[in-house]
Amino acid sequence: MSALTTGVKRFNRENWKAYFLLFPSLLIFAFFMFWPFIYTIYLSFFDWNMISPTKEFVGLQNYIDILTDPKSYNIFGNTFIYIAILLVLNCVVPYVFAFVIDMVLKRFKGFYKGALFMPAFISLVVGSILFTWILNPVSGPVAIILGWFGLEMPIWSKMDGWVIFVLSLITSWKVFGYNFIVLYASINGISRELIEAARLDQVPLWRIFFQIVLPMSSATGIYVFIITIVQGLQYVFTPIKVITQGGPNYASSNAIYHAYHEAFVLYRTGHSAALSILTMVIFLVLLFIEIKFVERGIYYEN
Amino acid sequence: MKINRFVSIPWHLIFIATIFILIFPIIFAVGSSFKSLQDAYNNVLNIIPIQPTLENYQIFFNSLPAIQITVNTFIIAAVVTIFKVITSFLAAYAFVYFQFRGKTVLYFLLISTIFIPFTVTMIPNYLIISKIGLTDSIWGVILPQLADALGIFLMRQSMKTIPMSLIEVAQLDNLSHVQIMRDIVLPLIKPAVTSTGIWFFISSWNEYVWPVLILKTTDNFTLPLALQMYISSEGGTNFTVAMAVSVITMIIPLALYLAFQRYIVGTFTSSGIK
Amino acid sequence: MKEIRFENVWKSYGKTEVVKGLNFTIKEGERLILLGPSGCGKSTTLRMIAGLEEITSGELYMNDRVVNDVPSGKRDVAMVFQNYALYPHMNVVDNITYGLRVQKVPRSETRNRLDAALKMLKLEGYENRLPKDLSGGQRQRVALARAVVKKSNYFLLDEPLSNLDAQLRVSARKELVKIHELYRQTIVYVTHDQIEAMTVGDRIALMNEGKLQMLDTPENVYHRPANIFTAKFIGSPPTNVVEVTYLDGKIMFGNQSFQLSPMWVKQVEQSKTSKVAFGIRPEHLEINKTANKNTLKGTVKYVENQGNSYGVYVDLQGDEVIALSESKYWSQGETVYLKPFMNHIHLFNCETTNSIGYPAELDQEETTLERVLIHE
Ligand SMILES: Nc1ncnc2c1ncn2[C@@H]1O[C@H](COP(=O)(O)OP(=O)(O)O)[C@@H](O)[C@H]1O
Ligand SMILES: [Mg+2]
Repeated sequence: MSALTTGVKRFNRENWKAYFLLFPSLLIFAFFMFWPFIYTIYLSFFDWNMISPTKEFVGLQNYIDILTDPKSYNIFGNTFIYIAILLVLNCVVPYVFAFVIDMVLKRFKGFYKGALFMPAFISLVVGSILFTWILNPVSGPVAIILGWFGLEMPIWSKMDGWVIFVLSLITSWKVFGYNFIVLYASINGISRELIEAARLDQVPLWRIFFQIVLPMSSATGIYVFIITIVQGLQYVFTPIKVITQGGPNYASSNAIYHAYHEAFVLYRTGHSAALSILTMVIFLVLLFIEIKFVERGIYYEN
Repeated sequence: MKINRFVSIPWHLIFIATIFILIFPIIFAVGSSFKSLQDAYNNVLNIIPIQPTLENYQIFFNSLPAIQITVNTFIIAAVVTIFKVITSFLAAYAFVYFQFRGKTVLYFLLISTIFIPFTVTMIPNYLIISKIGLTDSIWGVILPQLADALGIFLMRQSMKTIPMSLIEVAQLDNLSHVQIMRDIVLPLIKPAVTSTGIWFFISSWNEYVWPVLILKTTDNFTLPLALQMYISSEGGTNFTVAMAVSVITMIIPLALYLAFQRYIVGTFTSSGIK
Repeated sequence: MKEIRFENVWKSYGKTEVVKGLNFTIKEGERLILLGPSGCGKSTTLRMIAGLEEITSGELYMNDRVVNDVPSGKRDVAMVFQNYALYPHMNVVDNITYGLRVQKVPRSETRNRLDAALKMLKLEGYENRLPKDLSGGQRQRVALARAVVKKSNYFLLDEPLSNLDAQLRVSARKELVKIHELYRQTIVYVTHDQIEAMTVGDRIALMNEGKLQMLDTPENVYHRPANIFTAKFIGSPPTNVVEVTYLDGKIMFGNQSFQLSPMWVKQVEQSKTSKVAFGIRPEHLEINKTANKNTLKGTVKYVENQGNSYGVYVDLQGDEVIALSESKYWSQGETVYLKPFMNHIHLFNCETTNSIGYPAELDQEETTLERVLIHE
């Protein structure tokens, strides 16, 4: 018996068991993830209203339409503003919070962790409704308190800029806790000796953060960075849908919401599909740049 | 570590303020749900209702099939959770304890779907569900939700923390894979499985985007969809009812969280994401 | 026959070859030690016997059958792991008996084996504890008990004592030998610790870089190393090995020479080697302040306290050798004279690094067979 045949035989004998275990997952993914993914690419080359029996092949026209429509730039612009705000609120702030709670403070750590994580369990529809009322520019509690100081609350749901900011805030309310806990886990895993040694050398906190904690948790940092962009934009969908439906005049729409809008409000599946694919490509490019850029200094925990 | 008070006190203030902002809406919702509409408008800053009333809850129960809606939400979340926990566990087990052709590629393929925006699969999924006649049914809501790789990822992470030698001892004892799963792997990663399950349950309970596309009749609605019916951008006349529905929607996730808080925070902070 | 036979067994991970052509037999009922520096492939070899690693090429026989394709569970093997691999969620009793329950061993039989194991390994009173509530020594004994109750014909141990402190290790070694005398399984025991190898082993298989260097009794491995690697690996401080030239019955150290006794001269002439390596253990190298007949001159480099003696590092015309001395009064730069004990020298072929053999006359000398004390 040669070495090769022995190895291969063994290999194959166990092989089927692994595929058997994977089968349910693969079946589901094939139907509801991989095939749809491919079919969306296909649809992006057709003009179709989801109802008519025939689809018209239009080549790259859907992509051209999107790239030449000034509204698209508006929407991509909005998307980047959302990304920027979400990154600050759900990546930078939780990073600093996790660092401070884990390494700087001594008391109430458990309470802070538990309380900060809590909203992650609540529906964003609930969040949207609560904040719509709490931030109601006329009769909400915040408006009333601002009124005491003679300040007036902007009618944020009708104002460009403000609307994106408030919708991002509402989304952050939900997303913050999960990102915080994940980052906390990573920072908590950094060797205490290293930090103690730095403190003995009187290294200031901000230096410990930038020169030890940040590089040593960078693998998780990148993960959070990515999900903040990818999932953050999807989470924003809910408050947009519930509160503004993309308005006023697309001022709060982003690429995700607009793809939905094209498909299920305007019934332009080709545009929607092309927009989704473009969004994904932009995500991929972003991820690629980020990973390339950070890779040099990256430190993989375990 | 010695920390200067001048450093720690401002931080404590920042955290307390943040937590107040995060928690206040919840308290506010609970308070308002027991107020009459008039009370709610006139005494916005009085969190505690002057004359507590169940009127809002009654309106919800009278105007919509509230029990049916709650049951729907529960069934969907439970089925999704059970299915995803089982399939994720099996898949993770295969990825950790088997060598097979295409393993790395397959794992990468599955995990990368976490980063695909839902709009990319939304239209074809809608078409599939229509085609098999599941629109406006809870199965139409359930099926596409099952394609989620997060569980595979989390469970693989925690299985990898089990020393391989434990599995090898079992192999030497001629244990079957079913016995290894049941008697060794599952008991050892039980906290992670429980937390992942709770996370699945809550995500599905709160799911909005997909049900909103699929469900049409109120009898089939889930709680977030019912809640959506009470929205109008000005606050509207149904505002206190919306608060009552919000409370009903929040209560199970919050109860689960509070009951398993140490467990959940522990799992997310120890097995974590790396 | 419950023996284990390797026939040209190779193991590679991708392109890295880890075990390179093993050929040897482990006899039924013996305690064989797999010894070697860390990373040399001991664990891999043991795990191939257990069926936990696939064999890349060659055949492994157990009980006169090729077992390359026999799964672990069907090899009649019990194994003790370095980290003990106790199930953290099971108490002592469950850890020990879980395997038996799965194998459907009758209850009363399980009970008997458990009781015997608990008694022998002094684990009575700890039955309901979880591994995390046990000390290192107790955990090690639970792991041993779990392997013992299987009553397997093959008993494999991978550095089972390396996580224990020195004193526990001594008693655990005795326990292990006791168990073996009782059950007489075929034991394969991996260690990188030569003391353990000497005290536990019936025979030692010394490995380096995936190859078997020598397989023999502890005495022979110590006194008759088959090659330079063995000579240097066994013993502490290690054997001095210096490349020299052989000329007319003499060994040339640079411009100094050293007269070999007739039996060695015969041995060297027979082997027809001229480039030889000369080996001598530090304890077999006498160091003196005055010259004598057939001594080698050198200068002291430094002195190291070895506890019961002093290791004197001597520069011998560019080669460094160590001699053991009872005295510590050696000063740096001092001229000293070294005298190797003729009965204890080792000569190797420089090209092959193999020993040129030992004169037959030596076998008659009982001194060589006396077990040498090795300092821990
Ligand atoms: N799974 C593996 N993949 C690649 N190389 C490995 C693997 N396992 C062990 N090795 C390598 O094989 C060599 C021998 O390992 P091992 O048998 O564990 O050594 P020992 O037990 O003698 O210390 C080491 O160099 C190790 O790095
Ligand atoms: Mg080893």
